Amino acid sequence: MILFENVTFGYGPKPVLQDASLSIGSDERVAILGGSGEGKTTILRLMLGLIRPDSGRISIEGDDITGKDEDDLREIRRKFSIVFQEGALFDSLNVKENVAFCLREFTDMSEGEIDAKVRELLKVVGVAHAIDLMPDELSGGMHRRVAIARSLAAFEPKMFLYDEATTGLDPINADRICQLINELCKAGTGLIIVTHKVVDAFKVAKRFLFLQNGRIIFDGDMPGLLQSENPHIGEFLNEFRFKVD
Amino acid sequence: MDSPALEENLDAVKFDLKKTIDELQEFYFLSANGLLGAIRRPFYYHDFIDQMDYAGAGSLLIVCLVSLFIGMALSLQLAAELSVMGLKMYTGKVVGISIIREIGPVAAALVYAGRVGAGMASELGLMVLGHQVDSLRVFGVDPVKKLVTPRILSSIIMLPALTLVGDAIALLGAYYIAVFVSHQSGYVYWTSIRYELTFENVFSGAFKPLVFGFIISAISCYMGLSTRGGAVGLRHSTTTAVVLSIVMIIVADFVLTRILLYVLGFSV
Repeated sequence: MILFENVTFGYGPKPVLQDASLSIGSDERVAILGGSGEGKTTILRLMLGLIRPDSGRISIEGDDITGKDEDDLREIRRKFSIVFQEGALFDSLNVKENVAFCLREFTDMSEGEIDAKVRELLKVVGVAHAIDLMPDELSGGMHRRVAIARSLAAFEPKMFLYDEATTGLDPINADRICQLINELCKAGTGLIIVTHKVVDAFKVAKRFLFLQNGRIIFDGDMPGLLQSENPHIGEFLNEFRFKVD
Repeated sequence: MDSPALEENLDAVKFDLKKTIDELQEFYFLSANGLLGAIRRPFYYHDFIDQMDYAGAGSLLIVCLVSLFIGMALSLQLAAELSVMGLKMYTGKVVGISIIREIGPVAAALVYAGRVGAGMASELGLMVLGHQVDSLRVFGVDPVKKLVTPRILSSIIMLPALTLVGDAIALLGAYYIAVFVSHQSGYVYWTSIRYELTFENVFSGAFKPLVFGFIISAISCYMGLSTRGGAVGLRHSTTTAVVLSIVMIIVADFVLTRILLYVLGFSV
């Protein structure tokens, strides 16, 4: 579904992502790991056409998105459901209005239907009681859950994208979010999660990409990652090994 | 300087030049698309009304306060100077022309840039940093139509309205000083003001804020949407939005004054 061919991107003269090539199927469960500023989120933004690569080619379902304009990209983006870092809820709208946002924008549903749909989605993610709260009144975990509900309301996604979905959450809330992510992918929909929390990545993904200095230095499964002799990966996995011990 | 260092410097200059040209191009596209959003569907009425309320009703008190004191100060200065020459009765006339044509529009625009422009830049900047603008794009909503168009439209409507109210308050302030401090005739003051309320003067005073409103909102939206780099980036974009708006208001005021004087048939 997603194909990167020798993609390079930088926000200034220094590249954030260098010569990256990868292919991800629509039913795969992939975790993109790496430290802060290594280009993990950049990969997600490139996939959605939110930024354009400096060189290389990106295709979604065989469709080259590199030169597409915003109007054409809208159709491509509807294939994905994304939860941004810290939720990215609209802070001037309450929870109900956030989840109802796309329903109001793109459907002819009546107020009653929208209300019912919002309540149903909030129930699925376990925050039905927060329907009237404003984003700044939500805890970190609730924030992510509402963001997930909002992304589900948008369209029927072919793939879920999560940007640091569990970062900043306590272990219990992080585990709940991982469970929710797994439940939503039961129907065979793929997912890509960007995270630096190895433990959470192992809970939801089957394939792992590891980024260092903007380059993909590992692409494989969990046993392969655990056995990697790369010292940087080894250091990164210390947290997981400590938890296993 | 050795050749590799020179080459490196040249590359840096080229990079900066290209970046500046790109930014100018982006600014013009954003401004044009923001304005054209008014005639393209969908139109976000609620956002438009919200912005009118924030920019207009929210700025009314401060514009009135600033205008009142500007009017009083101007009247004091003119009365003092004109009385030396025995021309005190012209205070109303000079105050009227100054406020309606020049000081009123500029003062209201400067207050607007400080309050509304800074607000727009920081709000949009925070939305960028919090990925809210990215969310809009992913959901298929055009951020220019949703965020920029309502702000530009509300500004080009509300700033002229605020200016007219501000002018009236400034003239009242000037009246108070002329009559109760400088002991002039209130009848003479208002007659000379009424004499200056010609189409040319009123048009000149109402057209300028329309352009200023567009300049302030376009610059502030652009700076807000190009925010990068966390809190420091937000500080930079908000400060730049206000400073650039103020400079452009002053420059545009001169250019508009020159054009309007010519178009409206005033001889210089």
